[in-house]
Amino acid sequence: MRALRLAFLALAIAWAVGPLYLLVKVSLAPTGEVMTAHPTLLPHGLTLAHWRRLFAAGQVSAPLVKSLLTASLVSLAALALAAPAAYTLARLPARWRYAVLLGLFACRMLPEVSLALPIAVVFLRWGLLDTIPGLALSHLTLVLPVAAWVLTTSFLTIPHEIEEAAALDGCSAWQTLWRVTLRLALPGLVVAGLLAWLFSWEEFVLATYLTLGSKTMPLQVYYYLYQGNWFLTAACAVLMTGPVFILTGLLQRHLRAVDLAGSFR
Amino acid sequence: MKRRSLLGLAPITLYLGALTLVPLLSTLWLSLAGPGGLTLEYYREIVGRYQFGEAVGNTLGITALGLSLELVLGLAAALALAGTRRGRAAAQICLLIPLGVPTIVAAAVMRSVFSTVGYLNEILLRLGLIRLPVDWVGERALAIATVALADAWKVTPLMLLILLAGLEAIPGELYEAARTDGASRWRQFRAVTLPLLKPALTMALIVRGVDAFRIFALPLALVGRDLPVLSTYAYLEYIEYGSPHTSAASSVILLLMILLAVGSYLRLAGPEEVLR
Repeated sequence: MRALRLAFLALAIAWAVGPLYLLVKVSLAPTGEVMTAHPTLLPHGLTLAHWRRLFAAGQVSAPLVKSLLTASLVSLAALALAAPAAYTLARLPARWRYAVLLGLFACRMLPEVSLALPIAVVFLRWGLLDTIPGLALSHLTLVLPVAAWVLTTSFLTIPHEIEEAAALDGCSAWQTLWRVTLRLALPGLVVAGLLAWLFSWEEFVLATYLTLGSKTMPLQVYYYLYQGNWFLTAACAVLMTGPVFILTGLLQRHLRAVDLAGSFR
Repeated sequence: MKRRSLLGLAPITLYLGALTLVPLLSTLWLSLAGPGGLTLEYYREIVGRYQFGEAVGNTLGITALGLSLELVLGLAAALALAGTRRGRAAAQICLLIPLGVPTIVAAAVMRSVFSTVGYLNEILLRLGLIRLPVDWVGERALAIATVALADAWKVTPLMLLILLAGLEAIPGELYEAARTDGASRWRQFRAVTLPLLKPALTMALIVRGVDAFRIFALPLALVGRDLPVLSTYAYLEYIEYGSPHTSAASSVILLLMILLAVGSYLRLAGPEEVLR
């Protein structure tokens, strides 16, 4: 039983990690090792040629900038719009709170294509296609429910009494909010902000509808994929996955703190 | 601050009203608005097409096959992890890695695995399991299975995460009691694990099921137009054929299918589990 379990875990880990190893390998492999009848599994030669071509072609810098700016804009706007809602929700009676949260959850179940079509039609008229604000506006529709959800659980962990104590000590309402509440909610704000950033960074469907010429990173990967260039696809894909793993690493540490805090309420 | 102000809810409500509710209603309107008033003409038009029938079948096939794969693999991995002590944290991190991979990157990864000159064929050839390379996305049934498997690679970790949390919430005393009563391992699994895991299973199946119905990037990038699903069908109707009405009609059908699936599942499993 034990041997069976370990064998299964080993196979599962190989299945989970192996394909990513192949992606990195392809991005660094000499041309002869890939796309032949017998591709090699182990790296025999390493080359930076594909990476050099990726940057030399000048095609990747514009998508990189567009995706970075859009994701950052979405992240900030999501916090600005969702934090007041979450703060209000956390102070509502539980039944009302869950009704609203359930409504927000329902928004996340809608097919993206049913929202993307009319948004694309209207944005075409308003000249918002191919622009960073346009893309950010559309991403927010999918990000806001999640951000509000995460922030509500985080505001719930801040006891009322702390705010009342701050008020008794002579803080104004704004000072209480700024110096006490928001400071205590910081881990939750960081998590929500990073989640929003990641969501926008890798979003594909809405970007496809709202882009004519200036691509985002996911669209650039798709472009190379469609062209059938394995090496540039792999290099570009590795380039866009890097920030994801760095941010997820950061997120994990904070997520634990939030979970811990959550279990105390 | 005794006054319960709802003002904080205003920005998000306005936003979601303008950019979620209004688009949803206009999609519905687009799908029904004919030149001479309301009409079901666009629905009739797409339902009569062979390609649309294929898209519905492919979507259902990928969802059913993908969910079963993810459920079995995710549950097996969660049970295996829960029974492991040494090296568990490292194993868990490795198993969760694909979850962080962006969908389009997962598509790129899976293309190099499942291509005719890809790595799966090479491994199977070396093991002597096949004589000639297999075209994994050639035939329709095989292409559906390939897309389901590729999707399972990325999302099984989510299933694993939810089920693992569910497993860990089951009190150990229940297993002790079952053992004292002489219950076999299988009996413990049937009588303790499965019933107590039901809320986590419901959560996992709904979250994943909704996503599976909406699948877009993987079939498009892995197979292309030969394997339409409802999302890509709606997309191509608008982008390629410039027909917002039929595109809207097919995304409304997709929405109805999601509502029907979630609704009937809750009906079967009992709604109290989600409301908790």
